[in-house]
Amino acid sequence: MTPVAAALGGAFSMAAGGALAGLVTPARWRSAVVGAATAGVGIAGAIAGLAAVSGTGWQVRLPDLLPLAGVSLTVDAVGGWFLLLIGGVAAVVGVYTVGYTGQTGHGPAARGALALVPLFVAAMLLVPAAGSVSTFLLAWELMAVTSLLLMLAEHRHTPAVRTAGLWYAAMTQAGFVAVLLGLAWLAAAAGGESFDTIRDRAAQLSPLASSGVFLLCLAGFASKAGVVPLHPWLPRAHAEAPSHVSALMSAAMVKLGVYGIVRIAFDLLGGGPRWWWLLLGALGALSALYGILQAAVATDLKRLLAFSTSENVGLILLGLAAAGLLAGAGQFTVAGVAVAAALLHAANHAGFKTLLFCGAGSVLRATGTRDLDELGGLSRRMPATTVLVGVGVLGAAALPPGNGFISEWLLLQALLHRDPAGGTTLIIAAPVAVAVVALTAGVGVATYVKALGTGFLARPRSTKASDAVESPPTMLAGMGLAAAVCAGLAVFPAVTAPALDRVTSGLRVGSAPMQGGVDLQLAGVAASISPLWIAVGAVGLAVAVAAVARTTGRTRRRAAAWDCGDGPLTARMEYTSTSFAEPLQRVFDDVLAPEQDIDVTHPAESAYLVRTVEYRRRLPDRVEARLFGPLMTAVSSIGQAARGLATGSVHRYLAYMLTALVAVLIAGVFR
Amino acid sequence: MVAPLPVAADGQGSRMSAGWAVAAAQAVLVAAVAPLLLGFTRAVRARLEGRGGGRIAQPWRDLRKQFRKEPLIPADAGVFFAAAPAVLTATSLMVAAAVPYLSTQNPLASSTDLIVVVGLLLLGTVALALAGLDTGTAFGGMGASREMTIAALVEPTLLLSVFALSTRVGSTNLSAIVAAGTTDQARVFSPASALAAAALAIATLAEAGRLPVDNPATHLELTMVHEAMTLEYSGRDLALVEWASAMRLTILLGLLATVFVPWGVATNLHPVAVALAAALFVAKLCVLSGLLAVAEVFTAKLRLFRVPELLAGSFVLGLLAVITSAVLA
Amino acid sequence: MSGPFHTQLLNLACGLFVLTAVGVLWRRELSALIGLLTVQGVALTGIAALLAVDVGSGEAIAVATGVGILKAVLLPLLLRRVLRRVPEARETAPLVNVSASLLAAAALTLLAYAAARPLVALGPEPTAHAAPVGIAVLLIGFFLATTRRRAISQIIGVLLIDNGIAAVAFLATGGVPLVMELGVSVDLLLAVLVLQVLTTRLQAAFGDTDLDDLRELHDR
Repeated sequence: MTPVAAALGGAFSMAAGGALAGLVTPARWRSAVVGAATAGVGIAGAIAGLAAVSGTGWQVRLPDLLPLAGVSLTVDAVGGWFLLLIGGVAAVVGVYTVGYTGQTGHGPAARGALALVPLFVAAMLLVPAAGSVSTFLLAWELMAVTSLLLMLAEHRHTPAVRTAGLWYAAMTQAGFVAVLLGLAWLAAAAGGESFDTIRDRAAQLSPLASSGVFLLCLAGFASKAGVVPLHPWLPRAHAEAPSHVSALMSAAMVKLGVYGIVRIAFDLLGGGPRWWWLLLGALGALSALYGILQAAVATDLKRLLAFSTSENVGLILLGLAAAGLLAGAGQFTVAGVAVAAALLHAANHAGFKTLLFCGAGSVLRATGTRDLDELGGLSRRMPATTVLVGVGVLGAAALPPGNGFISEWLLLQALLHRDPAGGTTLIIAAPVAVAVVALTAGVGVATYVKALGTGFLARPRSTKASDAVESPPTMLAGMGLAAAVCAGLAVFPAVTAPALDRVTSGLRVGSAPMQGGVDLQLAGVAASISPLWIAVGAVGLAVAVAAVARTTGRTRRRAAAWDCGDGPLTARMEYTSTSFAEPLQRVFDDVLAPEQDIDVTHPAESAYLVRTVEYRRRLPDRVEARLFGPLMTAVSSIGQAARGLATGSVHRYLAYMLTALVAVLIAGVFR
Repeated sequence: MVAPLPVAADGQGSRMSAGWAVAAAQAVLVAAVAPLLLGFTRAVRARLEGRGGGRIAQPWRDLRKQFRKEPLIPADAGVFFAAAPAVLTATSLMVAAAVPYLSTQNPLASSTDLIVVVGLLLLGTVALALAGLDTGTAFGGMGASREMTIAALVEPTLLLSVFALSTRVGSTNLSAIVAAGTTDQARVFSPASALAAAALAIATLAEAGRLPVDNPATHLELTMVHEAMTLEYSGRDLALVEWASAMRLTILLGLLATVFVPWGVATNLHPVAVALAAALFVAKLCVLSGLLAVAEVFTAKLRLFRVPELLAGSFVLGLLAVITSAVLA
Repeated sequence: MSGPFHTQLLNLACGLFVLTAVGVLWRRELSALIGLLTVQGVALTGIAALLAVDVGSGEAIAVATGVGILKAVLLPLLLRRVLRRVPEARETAPLVNVSASLLAAAALTLLAYAAARPLVALGPEPTAHAAPVGIAVLLIGFFLATTRRRAISQIIGVLLIDNGIAAVAFLATGGVPLVMELGVSVDLLLAVLVLQVLTTRLQAAFGDTDLDDLRELHDR
């Protein structure tokens, strides 16, 4: 029995055991048992992934498990990378869940809600392990259904959860239909449904078939990955789901959309014409910019993180698009760098987004609010959480020495090192992509400074925030694990080099030319950095400077901040997150189109004096309103029109069925 | 067109240590010169405006005075406020050591590149912005908000300039860029370089908080950006912040000088060559800061919401630089 | 005599040529726009002169001289005369704001570059490599004329278009026949003179030179 088989077997049996335990264990122990089981599933999945990316793949066909097609599992390096990623996220979230859901026994700690967590993780592990179209679709649907049910755990308390659930259900099913059509077409055109067969016969597909499959699958996978304009479910679902589920969805599930694109476009179809990659790149750029701009002006902490997920997926897609274009132009070395950048960014994003969603969950649990305008002052009340969130922010803002910086550096290297002789498309697309990445990174930094600065620092803006207490140790332990992984990826990114090399060779876009232990060097591309040196230098020098200043200068004394001589400062005078983002909102006014209202009331004596000023701002999602508004109007008008068909008479319904059956049979006769 | 990395790869210990010594000397030189350069800029400006002005060493005296005073920390501020001066100083020192100002044989060259330099400078900005928010005053928040808006919009210009600069040598490695400049004069005076220099100069003004983006001498709440964030600092903390800000200006001006006028930068580690490079480096800095002072006399501060126009302009310059380098390649 | 120095000078002139176009979008003061147009005229003259020296024909030198007199002296002078008659000195509210205009200019430049690839490939001279510059200026001129309100800005847009066309003609073909250049120049001169009359009349009728006011004529 190979290590992959053993680990995957362990993962699935632990998932079943955990689900069962969740149903039968009393409320007091339920969270602990299910959390441990989820962590176990995650660790087993990560081990399977690790084994696969170290070169020991695994393949099995279980014809009796399902009627007709049977179940076929294939774990190669590409799937292994995503198994590792999902397993890691699940291990962290499992530990965190123990403290987060607690011993209440209802809401997210109810029997069903907890029992589904290990099942959801197992379904996610099944997706990259699937080796045939039917198994893939089964796993995909399992994942969609379990995540939907988990998301709805708190539907009794908040109506917003129900709306979010509706959006998610509709979009995930629409996406599933697109993927189903695409893969069915692919299997029919290739004359076989196992991925191996398809891969072998992909070269013989007609351009129409391969492009059609690509477009259908892209639509389905992009909606799962939260790519603008198919994103409207994401900020809703990720914000309203319980935080451990948000972390799983945002850090792990969204990546499976990326996995789908990688698997279909690079692996199964083996690349395609230039317009595929330009389309993918345009979608990536749109997601990155629009996502980060919406995140920058969001005041709901979890909505901010959700939009930032759209942004990061956009960056990943930009990397993949660059890889496709570069490989098409024959520049395989740089294409390898681009794929490595995209996949490493997927892993980095999984790391810091798990950490940040868990941090948001801790804040929500301690204060009962996600509104940044009501938070503040948590750095004193929740010091450990603040530091851990700080590590996540460093990664998410792509600042050195964070982990996000490394993958953005790689992405920039791939874009900078395209050979100018590679044609007009590359010459024009590369600087535009660099500008997009740069603007995204810049606004991203502002966004995360806002999140950390207004959410955690200075004075609390409400009693909810001032009454906050530190989270229990299990939650901190989970976040600590994620922070350690982030730090590891930030300081020793070169450890991923052999794995990424295997993955990119598996995708046939050239090998990822990363080398080195301490220094990260790119072979064939003149670029190297030393993340370790940067981290040690920054931290060491800062500590040294602080120590010298402290020993030679005088000690600090606490005093009231300067209040302009106008009495003590109150929390109402602090900059809120809305006011922090106002300049950016103004600069990008044409893109965001905010709706603002200012009402000024005057006292009766004079119209020149002001009694109250009321400022209201609404930031509707423009893409959603423009694109989905008309769509929903059309759908509901069709629905209205179709009401005439449904009169309530059972005879009539039976007549419909009979007619349909007869029509099908007649069609069959005359075919 | 892949340039070999000028790493000291021959494994000679003495050569490595000489390289480290030069890197450390650079950091010390920048740290020592930065306040003087600020004093020089102020003196030139005062002279042009018909004022007497202070002495060139006045910023050093101010730093010494502030260092001796008692530092105060706002009642509600936390660790981010306390740590920011050290982080800002550390990032400035790191960049000062890593950019090949004196010699292209910098041992840090293989550890950092232009993108890392941009990132480290941004890290310093972020540290200060978080400190501004940590004070809990309206001023701090306002300064942080404005600074981050400007920083976000400068980023595309910076990275496009990096793109244009790295295209000509095929690497973002700073030593490679400077070394190519010292050997190949035609590359230095190409139209792409001139455009990139113009773009980077505007970005420098924005990053260093100079006119027309920010007025370093103002304390008017309508216009403050950098000063608003540092308003609550006092004593040794203020000294560190001001020192680090001066270093950032020196670093950025030095970067312009070294990348676009690379003459005099030593290509070996010979002490005489390095000393000559140091002298030339200071001279170039003086010229640039003199130009800066002259420009500031004739410029008014832009409204905050006009700054995006300026930065959009510099972005176009950066893009033109990239396109030009591709067209003429 | 197309040595490296010659090429450098040509590159410099081309760079200046496109930079002034970007500058026209950037600045709001109408007098600054005229100044930039003058510089652009000088740059265009420089391009023409450098190419003329390269070819060494008397006709080309005559064309370059004519271009210089017209674009760098005559047209700016006329525009300044118009400017003195109207009170407003600034382009206060363009239809597309300045930042967006600059980004549009960036996009148009990229488009010009992409569109000019076949032209560059066709051009016999190495100077054809710089032809995208002319197309970029042409597009920027069109954009300016489309999005600015003041009559003077619009005529500057038209002049930019003409400069762009002239630059493409010079760079891609290595010179323009004297007769053609003469014809175009006379047309331009006429256009500016018409504008001068139009602005004065607008000024008398509406009190400013916002061309959007012309819509009112339609209602009557």
